[in-house]
Amino acid sequence: MNALTIALPSKGRIKDGTVEVFEKAGLAISAVGNDRSYRGRVEGIEGVEIAFLSASEIARELANGAVDFGVTGEDLVREGMAGPDQKVEFCARLGFGQADVVVAVPEIWLDVETMADLGDVAADFRARHGRRLQIATKYWRLTQQFFSSQHGIQLYRIVESLGATEGAPAAGQADIIVDITSTGSTLRANHLKILSDGVILKSEACLVRARKATHDEDPRVARIVEAVRAAL
Amino acid sequence: MPLIDMPDFSTDLLNEFAARRTERVNTPVIQPAEPFLDMAGEDLRRRIFLTESETGANLCLRPEFTIPVCLRHIETATGTPKRYSYLGEVFRQRREGSHEFYQAGIEDLGDTDIAGADARAIVDATGILKALLPAGRLELTLGDQAVFEAVVRALGLPLGWQKRLIHAFGDMAHLEALLDRLARPQPVTGLDREVTELIASGNEAELIARIDRTMEETGYSTNASRSPTEIARRLKEKLELAETRLDGGALLLLREFLTLQLPLAEAPAALAGFADAADLKLGSAIALFDARLTALANAGADLSAMTYRAAFGRPLDYYTGLVFEVTQAGSSAVLAGGGRFDRLLTLLGAKERIPAVGFSLWLDRIDTARSGVAGGKVETGFRADPPREEKTSQ
Repeated sequence: MNALTIALPSKGRIKDGTVEVFEKAGLAISAVGNDRSYRGRVEGIEGVEIAFLSASEIARELANGAVDFGVTGEDLVREGMAGPDQKVEFCARLGFGQADVVVAVPEIWLDVETMADLGDVAADFRARHGRRLQIATKYWRLTQQFFSSQHGIQLYRIVESLGATEGAPAAGQADIIVDITSTGSTLRANHLKILSDGVILKSEACLVRARKATHDEDPRVARIVEAVRAAL
Repeated sequence: MPLIDMPDFSTDLLNEFAARRTERVNTPVIQPAEPFLDMAGEDLRRRIFLTESETGANLCLRPEFTIPVCLRHIETATGTPKRYSYLGEVFRQRREGSHEFYQAGIEDLGDTDIAGADARAIVDATGILKALLPAGRLELTLGDQAVFEAVVRALGLPLGWQKRLIHAFGDMAHLEALLDRLARPQPVTGLDREVTELIASGNEAELIARIDRTMEETGYSTNASRSPTEIARRLKEKLELAETRLDGGALLLLREFLTLQLPLAEAPAALAGFADAADLKLGSAIALFDARLTALANAGADLSAMTYRAAFGRPLDYYTGLVFEVTQAGSSAVLAGGGRFDRLLTLLGAKERIPAVGFSLWLDRIDTARSGVAGGKVETGFRADPPREEKTSQ
């Protein structure tokens, strides 16, 4: 049997949380060689390897089927591939790494509290300002789905923002943002507010399985999923 | 140019275009992406092939012809009226079917005889299809945004509500959500008490000053897109609109209108009957609808194969009146799609308003139909596609 690969974040809160959950599940993880190694193994189960990757790479490797399991934020998985529910299975929500992907607008937009308000503003934007409403985000896929499919808002432009997105409206790079927030404090500090129906996704760290036909008959796959679920 | 991959009826098609006194134009395959994303919205991004120039400019493979033909018209500044035709490859990311396929069509720019130009677009599209598919029976579905706008206006709703409904026309789910809100108005809650009082007392100047101060304090003034005045005025309008309730009768009328679907020849009588029964004045929109029908009849169009569907529209802000699409009896594959887009040229930068109507032919589907293969899959789920395609999913 081929080795199964579980991709884990190579650093940070999600890595620490995952190591803890796996340990509780009786699947202790040890690095191969030294602590900084990017390969690891799982104690007590044969033929399972750990690959430590960056969080955003994990979503990509899951989409390609290059790894069997991955632990990463649901936001990155849903943003990182088309048709995620066909490609992967969310096996367990791990209870840490919680963060919401939200639509936030300047606090001073007193007239905008809901997506419907935003729809009105977007529809008129070009006539008033000579350009479409601009949204700074790194989540272009989630933004499109939420705005177009769920709220019928078509007329806006995405401005890609890879960092410090909250600063974009005040700096004039965009009018509003779609970003991740856990406590909302950064949004408040930048005088932004979340729309009342503007939560696109309540994300947290998840154990995610790439859907592969070979998994159906593989006892190790079922064992990993069950052990992790039991540890939660 | 190697032409061996072109559909084998290309020469016939070009002859049809020439016989209709069109000027054939070509446009580069590699196009600036901004106009397409600006006009059709961000949803288009995952449906086109995007790339970047060395200097960072967004480029894409031509996903359709209308926008490039219109941009070329504006650049060359050769005046109107103009009748352009095109035939060439377009590139789309599709779930099914090839990513590159041929489209051809006619764009009629600047003809001020609206009804006549509308009728000619329909007659040209169906005439060309008939020539290419002599054995098939064609069916045409026609919609008219101007009639919907007239109905909405005649209901006496506040302007803001009219705009919302018109903006959603062609997107039934969105429209239904709006009608629900009109049936059950939700008061606006959670507004700052002082702000509420300022609005109630009509003290707009103080409200604007207050917003302005906050923007200064929070660093939002320098780059603000929406000014304090815009925010204050829309807040006031929003509070008014939130209290608007469309009474049950009017709501029923609007819903009844949206379900209208009948042979085109019977549509004028049905619309007149609807207007009378509802006591709505639909005026010039109906007159134009009737004039278009007369022009169609005079041009010898086969009205018996044409259906009017009141809810048929495209939810993009540059479509203004007529929309239509043509299928073959027994198939859902759209062979030709067209419509009037009087707002597109000014949105693209034309100095004056240029009325425009046109249609596109899907040569891959026509080819399939010619070879007698039944059916032909239609892409579904499309909403923010560029002109002409998305209706197939509605």
